[in-house]
Amino acid sequence: MAKTEQGNGLELHDNTEKLTDSKGKGESNGMDPEVNGSIPEDRQVDKYGFTGGTQQELAEEVPIAVLRQREAKWLEMLNSWDKWMSKKHSKVKERCQKGIPPSLRGRAWLYLTGAKVKREQNKGRFEELDNQPGDPKWVDVIERDLHRQFPFHEMFAARGGHGQQDLFRVLKAYTLHRPDEGYCQAQAPVAAVLLMHMPAEDAFWVLVQICEKYLPGYYSTGLEAIQLDGEILNALLRRVSASAHRHLKKHKLEPILYMTEWFMCAFSRTLPWSSVLRVWDMFLCEGVKILFRVGLVLLKCMLGTQEKLKSCQGLYETMELLKKISPQYMRESFLVQEIIELPVSEKDIEKEHQAQLRRWKETHGDLNCKSPPRMHGAKAIMAAEPPSRQELRQRPTIIVESPLESKTDVVSEANGKTKTTKENGHTAVLPTETVNPGDPSPALQSLNIQGSKESLSSDDLDTYL
Amino acid sequence: MGSDEAYNFVFKVVLIGESGVGKSNLLSRFTKNEFNHDSRTTIGVEFSTRTVQLNSFTIKAQIWDTAGLERYRAITSAYYRGAVGALLVYDITKHLTYESVERWLKELYDHADPHMVVMLVGNKTDLESERSVPTEEAKDFAEKKGLLFLETSALESTNVESAFNTVLEEIHKKVSSKEVIRGSIKAVTLNSSRPEDEEEKKPCCRNI
Repeated sequence: MAKTEQGNGLELHDNTEKLTDSKGKGESNGMDPEVNGSIPEDRQVDKYGFTGGTQQELAEEVPIAVLRQREAKWLEMLNSWDKWMSKKHSKVKERCQKGIPPSLRGRAWLYLTGAKVKREQNKGRFEELDNQPGDPKWVDVIERDLHRQFPFHEMFAARGGHGQQDLFRVLKAYTLHRPDEGYCQAQAPVAAVLLMHMPAEDAFWVLVQICEKYLPGYYSTGLEAIQLDGEILNALLRRVSASAHRHLKKHKLEPILYMTEWFMCAFSRTLPWSSVLRVWDMFLCEGVKILFRVGLVLLKCMLGTQEKLKSCQGLYETMELLKKISPQYMRESFLVQEIIELPVSEKDIEKEHQAQLRRWKETHGDLNCKSPPRMHGAKAIMAAEPPSRQELRQRPTIIVESPLESKTDVVSEANGKTKTTKENGHTAVLPTETVNPGDPSPALQSLNIQGSKESLSSDDLDTYL
Repeated sequence: MGSDEAYNFVFKVVLIGESGVGKSNLLSRFTKNEFNHDSRTTIGVEFSTRTVQLNSFTIKAQIWDTAGLERYRAITSAYYRGAVGALLVYDITKHLTYESVERWLKELYDHADPHMVVMLVGNKTDLESERSVPTEEAKDFAEKKGLLFLETSALESTNVESAFNTVLEEIHKKVSSKEVIRGSIKAVTLNSSRPEDEEEKKPCCRNI
């Protein structure tokens, strides 16, 4: 594995990082060593924050040069988000499919979900909810769950640590925001994933958007929405893999027995971490159809051939098989390609939804919990509630001018010297107002970045899926 | 012992009870001899098996575990299907979890086989100092309702084997009069004279 150096001077060998000085005072990574007794001093933590070393194996390596290019493009997109979403949405979608660069993932998710806008429109709201004590009934259940989410992630390992505290704040705020819904346990892993990428207030609003727009009714009393989606998944499976469909029917393996955790946690408890992130990048851009496609791919792969079916003779054995998906089918490169290629569209889902709803009403009567119709992704959300420019304005703490916008670029190096380069295809850089010792500009200087006009066309250099 | 060919029966047993009482750890303690303070919240269904010897019979216990939160009760009918035993678990340090036992019993009898063997389990005896449910009270309640009763500690392993084995024995007593096809993987119901039995009647692998 390549040795990479980060701007902050940390050396990464094999992409793992030693947790140094775990006995020091409160670390900003969320571990409170005084409270924590569970992580030994030099336990290896991978680049996602997990101990145990199993998350790295199936990840793709994206070259730094490509990563930097993507970051620049995303910065440009975020700068004029409404324009990109309305006029070049297919490009946004494509870039989400390629994987959002880790440094911008949190921000991208905030924008994709419309949470950024929600936050701006509701200034002070989270703080207000945060300050309330919360319904004791929900507080009690939430507290019982705090140490049970991703306990092998450094952010959530410490009991009472910052990660668990923020998880509490976000989940409690939600129960106050939607008292009729309250808390559903699957919201905890979803919120935890969000907190790994953004601060509590942002995570709260993204959670709101997921619960209200992407997966309405999933976490409500009666769990009708998830049951319906289980039926839709099963119906779609018939088209994708007739043999898998037949097998499940023969053994009376109802969808609710295998897809509940998949869908309610958006696969965050099923797939290796790099795949989780790729799936979420696409899910938050394109909507629930991505979750359906993942489910269908996994079912097709695990139950799609005769040899596989021979080995599971009954309901229980089939369930066991679906609990232990072969790693090869979950690896990032394979899975993402399968998802993109699977011909299941929003229309297919909506059509099946109507059919299953009719069937449901025949057997169960009317739905108890009438949720609003779901939004199939970022574009739909934005179209439903068009934001103002003001609401989309970024508020970064370090201002950096995108290399794709300015005609002449000025580089200021750490020692104060400045250089000017013309934009003729040999750009690099970034005038910085704050000088960081770990400034990435030296790396960028050696790159050829296309000018802003060309950034809208397809990228020859960027072929990574 | 424990190879697929060697068991006579498969008994499906479900773990039910409020969130956080210790169902998942009872499962892992019994089937894998593991306990985890930070085991993940159960969402959906988890399960595991263990094969035990009862008298001269080999029993494969198929233990199912699911989320305890109230809301998840909406999806439990598939979960109960074919279950012949249940461990209804509460936390001896949280009286509220004991108070909801009646509701769980109703849920059980609404969805599952009425002949099912049920044991009331008071878990977390390792936290004796924080006890809020007196043993005698729970024992009397269990007796009144025709339930078996034990107090356990998944953490210390106390009575876990006993709890599961007792339930399995009671189930076995109820079915021991039924004929068994040796080597078949067949889940057992207690009242197989019911024509619309939902279990597979045909053995699936005659050639094993």
